[in-house]
Amino acid sequence: MNPENQARLERFKSMPIDGQALKKLVEAGLTWLRVNQQTVNSLNVFPVPDGDTGTNMVLTMQSAWAEIDNLGHRHVGQMAAAVSQGALMGARGNSGVILSQLWRGFARALHDQETLDGPSLARAFADARDTAYKGVVRPVEGTILTVAKDVASAAEAALKETQAPFEILAQVVPAADASVEHTPELLPVLKQAGVVDAGGKGLFYILEGMLRYIYGQPLDVALATVQPLSAMNLENTLESIEPGQDYEVVVDFVPASSFDLQKFYGELETIGTSIQVGEGDGMYRMHIHVPTEKRYQPIDYVMTLGTITKVALENLLAQMGHIDKKSGRDRIELANVEPGQIAVVTVSPGAGIARVFASLGVAAIVEGGQTMNPSTQEILSAFENLPTDKVVILPNNKNIILAAQAAKEVTVKNVHIVPSCTIPQGLAAMMHLNPDGEVEAVVAKMTRALDDVTSGEITIATRSVEIDGVAVEKGQVIALMNGALVLCAASVEQACMGLLEKADAASYELITLFYGGDLAPTEANRIVDLIRAVYPSQEIELQYGGQPHYQLIISVE
Amino acid sequence: MGEETTTLGTIHISPNAVATIAYHATLQSYGVVGLAPKNLAEGLTTSITREPARGISVHYNGEEIDIDVHVIVEYGTRITSVASSVANTVRYQVEKALGMTVHNINVHVQGLRVSNPD
Repeated sequence: MNPENQARLERFKSMPIDGQALKKLVEAGLTWLRVNQQTVNSLNVFPVPDGDTGTNMVLTMQSAWAEIDNLGHRHVGQMAAAVSQGALMGARGNSGVILSQLWRGFARALHDQETLDGPSLARAFADARDTAYKGVVRPVEGTILTVAKDVASAAEAALKETQAPFEILAQVVPAADASVEHTPELLPVLKQAGVVDAGGKGLFYILEGMLRYIYGQPLDVALATVQPLSAMNLENTLESIEPGQDYEVVVDFVPASSFDLQKFYGELETIGTSIQVGEGDGMYRMHIHVPTEKRYQPIDYVMTLGTITKVALENLLAQMGHIDKKSGRDRIELANVEPGQIAVVTVSPGAGIARVFASLGVAAIVEGGQTMNPSTQEILSAFENLPTDKVVILPNNKNIILAAQAAKEVTVKNVHIVPSCTIPQGLAAMMHLNPDGEVEAVVAKMTRALDDVTSGEITIATRSVEIDGVAVEKGQVIALMNGALVLCAASVEQACMGLLEKADAASYELITLFYGGDLAPTEANRIVDLIRAVYPSQEIELQYGGQPHYQLIISVE
Repeated sequence: MGEETTTLGTIHISPNAVATIAYHATLQSYGVVGLAPKNLAEGLTTSITREPARGISVHYNGEEIDIDVHVIVEYGTRITSVASSVANTVRYQVEKALGMTVHNINVHVQGLRVSNPD
C-alpha cells in the first residue's frame, strides 16, 4: 500500500465510525456494486424470475442511499435505521428483499449505538444473518444467505484478535470472497453452469467496496474481471471489430506464479482491444483484437508470464468476408436457365453451402433449414416457374427423396431425381452437370458420380443410443460416414481425424470441409491445420457452410 | 385438467398435482414464511385431511389455468416484491413442469408474521 493510503488507513483506524462514516461506507458499497453490476448479472444461471440480480441489488442499495443522502445524523444507530428503511422501500427482486433483510438485522443490532465498535459490528453481522434466515421457510445453502452466514462467523473470529471495526471488515471481505467461491460446491446448479452465486457475489462487492474506500482504492473502475471459461463470449466479438483491428488472438496459458490481473489487463490494453480473460480447468484464456503489425505481441507477452498451451490467430478481415456472405443471402447468384436446358433444384441446409451450389450452376435452392425437411410444395415452387421443363432434383438427404418424388408426380414437367443422400454427394453430382446435354444421359452420369465421393458428417449426439455397434452417450461428438454412424469421440477434432482415417483419406486427393453455424471459424481453422499436418499430400479446402446441427460436413474424393 | 393426447392414450394432470408444484415453489420464495387457509372451513378440512397443498387453489375451466396462492409474509420485508417473486416463481415452476401456460396467478397476503419487534 502506498504511503498516502497507509496514512489514510491510520486516520480511519483512529476515528470512531459514526453515522456520517457509515453513510460514506454505504455510498462506497453502492458505487462498487454498481460498477460491477454486469458481472453479477452475468452470473444468473436459470431464468431468474426476478430478473438480473446485479441490477436488483443496485436498485435496492440506491433506494437505501436516497434515504440517507441528505441525513446529517451522527448517531450510527439512527443512520443504520434509515439505511434499512430505504432498502426496505426499494427492495427489488428476491436478492433485493434478502439484502433489505440483512440491513434490517444490521440496523437492529446498532439501535442504541452512537458509534460502531468491533463487538457491535460483529453483533450487527450476526443479526443481519439471523434476520435474513428468518425470512424464508426453506433456506437454500450456496446462496447469499450462506455468504451472510460466513461473514458473521468471520467477524466473530476476527473479534478475538482485534477490537478495531476496520480490521474486522478487512478480515470479513476475504472470507466473503472465499464463501462466494465455495457456493458451487453447495449448489449443484451453480457447479453445472460453472458460475458462483450471483446474490452472494453482489453482497461481496458491497463489502469490498467499503474496504476499498477505507484503503483509498478507486471505486469508479471495475477491476479487470476474470470470467469462467464457459461465460466467455468469443463468437460475437466480430460485431465489435474496430478499424485497425485486423487479427483476433486467443492464447491459452498456465501462469508460472500468481500473476497480477490488473497489470495483465493494463499491458494488453496497450496492444489491442476487445479484451476478455477467462479461467477454468487450471488455465487462463486470453482473447484480444490487434492490428496486423502487433499480431505476435500478445503471444510474446503471455510467454513471459507462464507456459502457453494453445494459440489461435484469426484474420478478422477474412472472417468479415464470411459475415458478408452470411448476410448477403439474396446475393447468391443462381444459374440462368434457358428453355430446353436442364435446371437443377437442390436442397441446402445453410447459406455457405447454398453459395457453393450456386457457383456450380444450380438453378434453384430450397432452404432445408433446421430440420432439412422441406415440403413437397416448397420443392415444387422452386422449379415450377423456371423457363424449362427439364428438371433435376438433388435432395441431399434420404428424408427428402420422398418429398421430391411427390413433387415429381404432381407436376407436368419432366422431372428426374438424382438420389443424393448427403451434401458432398450433391456437390459431386453437380460436377457432372451439362445443362445442354441430353437429360437421361446427364442424370445417369450424375447418379454414377454419387459414389465417387465419401461423405462425412460430424455432429453432437442428442440422445444416448447404440447403433451399428457403436455406443454413444448424449452430448458426445459423433461421426457419420455415408450416413452410417462410425465412431464417437470427445471432441470435434478427434471425431474428424478418426473419420478421415476410416475414410482412408490418405488414398484420395481432395478433402473438403464445410463448417456449420455451431463451429467457430477459429476452431475450424485449427482443425484444418491439424488435418494438413497429418495429410500433407492431400489438397484440403475449408468452406463456410453455415449449416445447423452439423459442426462439419466433409467430402473425401 | 391439463390433457394431452399421445399415440398411446391420454395424459391427465389433476389440479392437485398443479397445486403441489405451486405449493413447493411458494415455500421456496423468499419472504414467505407460511401458507394460509383461505377461510375457516378450509382451515378445518386441511387440518383433518392433511392436504398437501394448503393455501393453494387451482382453477381450470377447460382452457385456462388460474392459481390462487394464500401466504403469510415476514413482517419487515417489501411485500410487493415478495408477492411478485412468489407469482414469478410459481408461474415458472408450473409452466416448466406442465408445459402449459398459466393464465393468472393471484397472490393473497393473508397475514404478516412478526419475528422480532423492530
